[in-house]
Amino acid sequence: MNLPKQPVQQKVLKYAITSLIVAGSIWSASGLEITLEKILKAPEQIAILVGAMFPLDLSQEAIERILPKVAESLFIAWAGTVIGAIFSFPIAFLAANNVAVNYVSEATKQILNGIRAFPELILAFVFLPITGLGALTGTLAIGIHSIGTLGKLSSEVIEGIDEGPLEAIKSSGGSKINELLFGVVPQVMPTITSYWLYRFEINLRASAVLGVVGAGGVGAELINQLRFRDFPRAGTVLVATVVLVLTVDTISAAIRRRIIKGRSIKIDQ
Amino acid sequence: MINLPKKPPPSLMVFLGIPAAFLFSYYCFSKVGFNLSDFRENLQNRYIVTDPLFNPKWSWAIENASEAIIETIQIAILASIVGCFIALPLSFYASQTTNQNKISFFLYKSFLNLVRTIPDLFWAMMFTVAVGLGPFAGVLALVMFSLAIMGKLLSETIDSIDPGPLEAAKSSGASHNQSVFTSALPQVLPNFTAYFLYIFELCIRASVILGLVGAGGVGRIIETQRIFLRFDRISPIIVLILVVVILIEQFSVWLRRRIL
Repeated sequence: MNLPKQPVQQKVLKYAITSLIVAGSIWSASGLEITLEKILKAPEQIAILVGAMFPLDLSQEAIERILPKVAESLFIAWAGTVIGAIFSFPIAFLAANNVAVNYVSEATKQILNGIRAFPELILAFVFLPITGLGALTGTLAIGIHSIGTLGKLSSEVIEGIDEGPLEAIKSSGGSKINELLFGVVPQVMPTITSYWLYRFEINLRASAVLGVVGAGGVGAELINQLRFRDFPRAGTVLVATVVLVLTVDTISAAIRRRIIKGRSIKIDQ
Repeated sequence: MINLPKKPPPSLMVFLGIPAAFLFSYYCFSKVGFNLSDFRENLQNRYIVTDPLFNPKWSWAIENASEAIIETIQIAILASIVGCFIALPLSFYASQTTNQNKISFFLYKSFLNLVRTIPDLFWAMMFTVAVGLGPFAGVLALVMFSLAIMGKLLSETIDSIDPGPLEAAKSSGASHNQSVFTSALPQVLPNFTAYFLYIFELCIRASVILGLVGAGGVGRIIETQRIFLRFDRISPIIVLILVVVILIEQFSVWLRRRIL
């Protein structure tokens, strides 16, 4: 059979990528001193740890200690998302190049990129000496990081709108404010709200981790129990976190789907 | 008079959902202890942080942190490669297009969801306990992290592939595995590469903080300096990391454009 040959360039690219991957992993594995012996021993060691966690510590005392911490993570994540949503909303309009003047949008975008570059955890320990140990620090860290991410996502939504309604408002005498209020906002609100919820899901995972540096939430509990070798209790913390994250993910995904799809309406003429 | 359709009344969700969201926000802010006057007072202590933060000790950082930054990159490279290649076969089992067995499909899908639920730093904490402090624990943690993301992205991509080639392979006598290998895999390979680069970027970012729990990389140095409030040493490290992250992202964007 006379099949067309694979183009040479593609073949070269394929080999180049394969060798890059192989070389990269060899360089990394040797640099990190990861030996075969370590790898072979790992599954057994992990099994021992998991075995030590079960049965979970479900005593009254453990639950009374852990549940408030898990709830605190939820509060931090929500409050942080609210901060992010409130501040990112106006900023997104400044960053969108079809609404704001070109250089304003360019400058705002760079600021948002700068904010986004810092992980929550690094923001958290920079705030720590100022706002003290506790949930407030975590909230601020998550809030500020969310301004960066939500600002970028929202501005991209605004940039993707249909310009028709704006023109219609302009041609019937509407001001610039009218354009934004009645042309842009109704178009972008569903998508932006669903991004807020999506960010809330991500922030919940982030706030669970923040406890590691003392910024509130369930992370501190996990690291303490692991340090004190109280594995059944660490298991409880872990399972409680997983249950919370799964529940929030499910509810939030359902609400997001409903917001995007809208409600089925009967129109009677 | 034009007969416009009536505007539908706002749904129950708007009536209940929006006030509920406001109430919950209020409750959350009171729970996290947000207090504007306290906050303003505390803000006067900002010089503890800002003074050293904006007086970076560059020479110290370059001397002491460059090795750890390389270690961080190595962790990210190894973990993203291993994680993504483990996820490659798993994703085919976690998609209904290529796995008709309902039970095993459900098991693989739930496994990937479960792995995704646990935050990266939690994995790191557990692996440091299981296999000891050091970069190996960090690699394992990020393997789980990238495995979970790749599994989700790729299995959803496989869900939406064109089933035609699969059928063609089967009708010409290929076994199920052969048909998946020859007609489903090539369809998703470009996506796989793009996701891989994306996950590599995420891993670079995530590997920076692994050291906070003793799982190797530059976070270890940040953690020790943080305890002594040496922000003058931390800020140049953070800038160095940002430069590395941006360079790697640019490279990955360039590569992605070449491939796709």
